[in-house]
Formats: sequence, C-alpha cells, structure tokens
Amino acid sequence: MTLEQLTNEFELGRPHLKSYLLRITASAEDAEDIAQDTFIKASQKLHTFRGNSSVKTWIFTIASNLAKDNLRAKKRWTENVTDICKAKAIANPTYFADMMTIQTTSPHGQFEVREHITFCLTCISKSLPLEQQICILLKEIYDFKVSEIAQILTTTEAMVKYYLHTSRAKMITIFEGRCALINKEGTCHQCSELNGIFNPKQDFEVEKNKIEMARVLETGDKEHLLDLRLQLMKEIDPFSSNGSDFQLHHLAHNRKIMENYSERSAE
Amino acid sequence: MTPASTGKAVTIKKMFSRETAISIDIQADKSILWALLTNASDFPRWNSTVISIEGEIKPGGKIRLKSTLDPKRVFKLSVKEFDADTRLVWGDAMGQRVYTLKSIGQNLTHFTMTEKIGGPIFPLIAKMIPSFDQSFEHYARDLKKEAEAISNTK
Repeated sequence: MTLEQLTNEFELGRPHLKSYLLRITASAEDAEDIAQDTFIKASQKLHTFRGNSSVKTWIFTIASNLAKDNLRAKKRWTENVTDICKAKAIANPTYFADMMTIQTTSPHGQFEVREHITFCLTCISKSLPLEQQICILLKEIYDFKVSEIAQILTTTEAMVKYYLHTSRAKMITIFEGRCALINKEGTCHQCSELNGIFNPKQDFEVEKNKIEMARVLETGDKEHLLDLRLQLMKEIDPFSSNGSDFQLHHLAHNRKIMENYSERSAE
Repeated sequence: MTPASTGKAVTIKKMFSRETAISIDIQADKSILWALLTNASDFPRWNSTVISIEGEIKPGGKIRLKSTLDPKRVFKLSVKEFDADTRLVWGDAMGQRVYTLKSIGQNLTHFTMTEKIGGPIFPLIAKMIPSFDQSFEHYARDLKKEAEAISNTK
C-alpha cells in the first residue's frame, strides 16, 4: 500500500474513526488528537502492513491502542453518571446559560431527544470495563466482525464474545433500571427534562413516539430495545448532527465532572 | 473424585469429611468459562446459586460470598490457586472448592467442581451443613447455559 492509498482510505474512514474515539474517550479534543496520531503512526508503520486484515481494521487497531494508552490511568465512570452530572449542572450558575448560547448561535445547537439518547448511551457505556465498551462499539456501531475485533484487541474470538455478551447484559440491566423511556419506574427522566428546558414548544410525547425504541415497549424484548438504542447511535454522527455542538458541550461537562469525581473517589 | 460428565452431583460422606463433585461438558472455549468463574461482580447475573460476591477472584484474593445454600451467612474465602484457564481453588479453614477446566475438543470443555469440607469437629456439625448436591447441579447448569450462550454469539 502506498502513502497515497493510505491517505485516501484514512480520509474516507475518518468520520467513523473520530466518532468511535469520541465515544471511547468522551472528549472531542482527544478524539481529534488520537485520530491524527493514528494517521501519523499508520504512515510510519506503512511498511509493516501485510494485508492480513483490511486497512480499516488495521487503522482501528492503531487507534484503539492509542485510546487505551490515553485511558489507562483514568477510572471508569459510574452507572449513575447522569445523576451526578445533573446535580453539578444545576449547581453551576453558567451551565444553562452556556447551553442556551450554543442553542441560539450554533447551526448544530438543537436539542433532539434521539441525539440525547445516544449521548446517554455514550456516558453509560463508559461505566463498562474498557474492553467491553470497545467490543460493543466496534461490533454494534462500526460493523466489525468478531474475528476483526479479536485482531484489534489482540485477543481471542472467545474473549470478544464474552465481552460482547457481558457488556450487552450489563447495559440492559442499567437501562432497565434507569431509563424512564423504557421503564415507567426508571429513575432518569433527563430526556424529557432537557426537552422541556431547551425545546419547550416541542411536545415530548410526540417527539418520543417518533423513536422506535419508545414505540415498541409492549412488544420489544430487552435485547431488541438495546439493539434499537444502538441503532440510533449508529445513525448519528456526533460531530455533524443537528445538535452536535449542544451534545459535545454537554459531554465535555460530564467528562470534567466524572474525571474529578473519579479522582476524588480514588483519594 | 471425578464423576462422569452427567451434570449430576455425587457426594461421598466419611466420618471426618464430606466431598461433593460434579462434572459436565460445555460447548464453549475454556477461556469463556474461566472469565465467568473469575469475574466476581458478574456472578449473580448468571449463577442462581450466588447472591453476591465481593472482592476479586485473583491470586491471593479475598472474597466474601453469599450463597443461596445459607443466605444469612457470609463465607470469607481466600483464593488459594489460580492457574489461568485451568484450575481455581478457593476456601477457608473448613474446606475448599476446586474448579478444573480441560479442553476436550474444539470449543468443548470438561468442567469439574468439587468441594471437600471436614476436620476434627466435622462429625459434630455435619448435620447442620446442608447438602450441596442440588446447588452444585444448578451451578453447573447455569454455567453451561451462560457459557454456551456466549459461545453462540455471532
């Protein structure tokens, strides 16, 4: 493969790579930096690429290793991340004003319930062990096969299957316990609360019912509901969606809170 | 004691000890079984005989296990052997639980679990210790079901 071919392949796949890195790191800056470092490393190691995997798999392998280095020293988030961050947002006098400014000045500043569902999925997935989070994202969002994920993580297909199965089971349990969209007893109503603040003219029930996950509650089993949630994430590019600036600002807030929270918990 | 791979528990009672064992063949790579058997916090999700396990199942690790065998009691156990993908032993002063895994084909693993309890005072307390047979059978059945579900992931 020539450098020109690599550059073309890389640019074609860059949006997917960046969104993957964003969802692992919860940082737009880190995602951008790691994507750039991935290209530099790939071009330096170009002579080692033997075509034993696809270029996409090779690039995601390099990116995943860099992301793991970036995240190794950081604690995983907690399942109640949205509760913790909501309390901090309410206590922050500038938080809502900043969000309102983004909403009124940015072409990507809308609040959309479906985007918030995927934002929430990103946050909750950070409570999984890193290998589990990487596996579920690669498989369900970025369409890698089990054998390719095993190459990316330098592990066996058996272990990838274990990570996938356990990550799905854990996500189902968390959302079943927390998400009021799929469980009337759920404790998290953040979608409807934020919709009321940032999109007051929008009827939440009408908006909610446009989302298949919320419509099929009677017939959808838990696995299917998770699949629909993951499908929503797959459909949304977190860097260019209608509300990307809104949600990226929100994610930066949560990341800052959770990193401080993790540091304090470790003391 | 190594019983046949039937998923039926076998118990041998002696004056100063009691040993229960079970074996079963599972259609999964042994690394999947090992991951299930060493991920303490995940146990209650798939294993109907475990109420909770606190601590880490690692070399020298200490765990606090609550079992449906005696829900009011917390078993304080130490990990005594930890041979990855092959053999795990935990126990206390009264006894020890041994898990062994052996590949017997592609994605086919022979699983054995034994627990021997005993000691000088065993005859005095033997009647107070419930039979492990049913719990062992549920344990082996749950492990097989979960490991095979994982192995069948597409």
